[in-house]
Amino acid sequence: MAATPDPLLTVSDVRRDFGGVRAVDGATFTALRGRITGLIGPNGAGKSTLMGVVAGAIKPSAGRIEYDGADVTGLPPHRIARRGMVRTFQLSAEFARLTVLENLLVAAPAQRGESLWGAELGRLYWGAGEDVLVGQARAVLDRFSMAPKEDELAGNLSGGQKRLLEIMRALMARPKMLLLDEPFAGVNPTLAREIERYLMDLRDEGLSMVMVEHELSVVERVCDPVVVMAQGRVIAEGAMADVRTRQEVLDAYLIG
Amino acid sequence: MSDAMQFYLSTLLIYLFIDVMGVLGLNLQFGVAGIINFAYIVFVAVGAYTAAVVSLGPDFPGNFQHYLFGASWPFPLPILAAGAASGVLSLVVGLISLRRLRSDYQAMVMLVLSLIATLTATNATGLVNGPAGLANVPQPLFDQLGLPPLEYQWVYAIWAGLLTALTFLFVRGITNSPLGRTLRAMRDNDRAAAALGKNITALRLLIFVVGGVIAGISGAVFVEFIQAWSPGSWLYPETFVFLAAIIVGGSANNWGAVVGALLVPVGFLEATRFLPQDFNLFGRHVVLFSGLVDALQWVAVGLLILVFLWFRPQGLFPERPGRFTPRAAIASAGKGE
Repeated sequence: MAATPDPLLTVSDVRRDFGGVRAVDGATFTALRGRITGLIGPNGAGKSTLMGVVAGAIKPSAGRIEYDGADVTGLPPHRIARRGMVRTFQLSAEFARLTVLENLLVAAPAQRGESLWGAELGRLYWGAGEDVLVGQARAVLDRFSMAPKEDELAGNLSGGQKRLLEIMRALMARPKMLLLDEPFAGVNPTLAREIERYLMDLRDEGLSMVMVEHELSVVERVCDPVVVMAQGRVIAEGAMADVRTRQEVLDAYLIG
Repeated sequence: MSDAMQFYLSTLLIYLFIDVMGVLGLNLQFGVAGIINFAYIVFVAVGAYTAAVVSLGPDFPGNFQHYLFGASWPFPLPILAAGAASGVLSLVVGLISLRRLRSDYQAMVMLVLSLIATLTATNATGLVNGPAGLANVPQPLFDQLGLPPLEYQWVYAIWAGLLTALTFLFVRGITNSPLGRTLRAMRDNDRAAAALGKNITALRLLIFVVGGVIAGISGAVFVEFIQAWSPGSWLYPETFVFLAAIIVGGSANNWGAVVGALLVPVGFLEATRFLPQDFNLFGRHVVLFSGLVDALQWVAVGLLILVFLWFRPQGLFPERPGRFTPRAAIASAGKGE
């Protein structure tokens, strides 16, 4: 493994109720620096809700989330993203009427031309920064073999390309931690293997990730450690080989 | 050209400029940022009323009209006050409705706001003279310039054109910048934009206020031209005329807004004026009852929106994504193949 075990994200006893339904019921886990932490469990286990809570999109009813040495519980999503924890979505969330290149450029933080007066000052004020960003975005596009698509409208991409776009876009936001919600959903096997390889490369470069995934074979290849959820709780945590033999995990998957 | 024709043409030109300003402001909110502001005309109206009351002079007992806060501010203060008043109202309305509600509910709040505003202005007669509205609003610098009415009207057209050009440049400064790109991203998927660090609430509020200021200024330029303003001038369907202009011209395209304003509020509604009130149909003499043409205008605007949404939803001048990316960048696109 690339980095020494060192927690970047600590989720403690997080609860989330929707009316009378407790979607997340006291979930606790840690995600380590430089690792891809898998978050698995049967449908309805509360994985996506927990991801939403960690990313700030859903307010927790109780519990505490610590990220990079600071308490980020209940912060709005944009503040959490600016701290370097960037999520992708279970359903494609591309900016459909922007080009692929624009999708990437939007994600860059702290752009001079993004304030009203900065924008009005014109290209002389923000043009240089923009050129740098275009260069960075091109490098990302090249790396993911998407350069030929840069002027394509994002809404016209295939399902798999949209997943790839989301990962590229998240990278432009300069993350320390990616929260990936089923990055392989609806992706053909060939492209899925490619995305898998990209993610492992990024991990080896030091990027940390938490990944919700249903396909256990992928999880086994990519994730270490693995966190298993069922009925809103974390029921097991550890290496996949170890976790998959445990009785409570088997029960959760078989009984649901 | 006859004087009458010149009056007519200069009036049309002034209407065009005012409508272009209005459509540009709403296009920024709706086309670019995705804010569904069904109360847009209220912000035009507030600008118009503000410009009127700060130039009508103090109200006095026995005056034929009554209003709050009368003053005789010199040009160009009434226009600035109009922009400021609409901007402040936008901020208040935005803080209440844009922060928490989903966008479909925001749209409903705006529609209701439009109805409440009309009812209030109509029934609280001490506010802005109720249903009769305000009249005799002085025209800016009319006495100082000392021009004959026709010449004054051309000068006014130039002034309105100047303000419209400034508005266009200001709006283009936003749309052709990283800010405009972020706004379009927010429009396409606000949750994803927030997840990338964009403060959605602040961006919505910003554009709501900028659009409101533009609306207010357009209202001021309008009221200082026609010199009167009443609740009948800004009923909620007026917002849909602007929306129709955006949909016809092309959403999120500034030139589309200009063409939309030319075609819908000016061309389309102006042309129906020339429909005959009585004509022969298959040998029978038909007389239209009064008000039928006005009513048909609304039907026509509705049909126009439907036809465009059905056959050409992108409008005549579609949005042009990626346009402000540096030219060299576009030339080298695809080199990574």
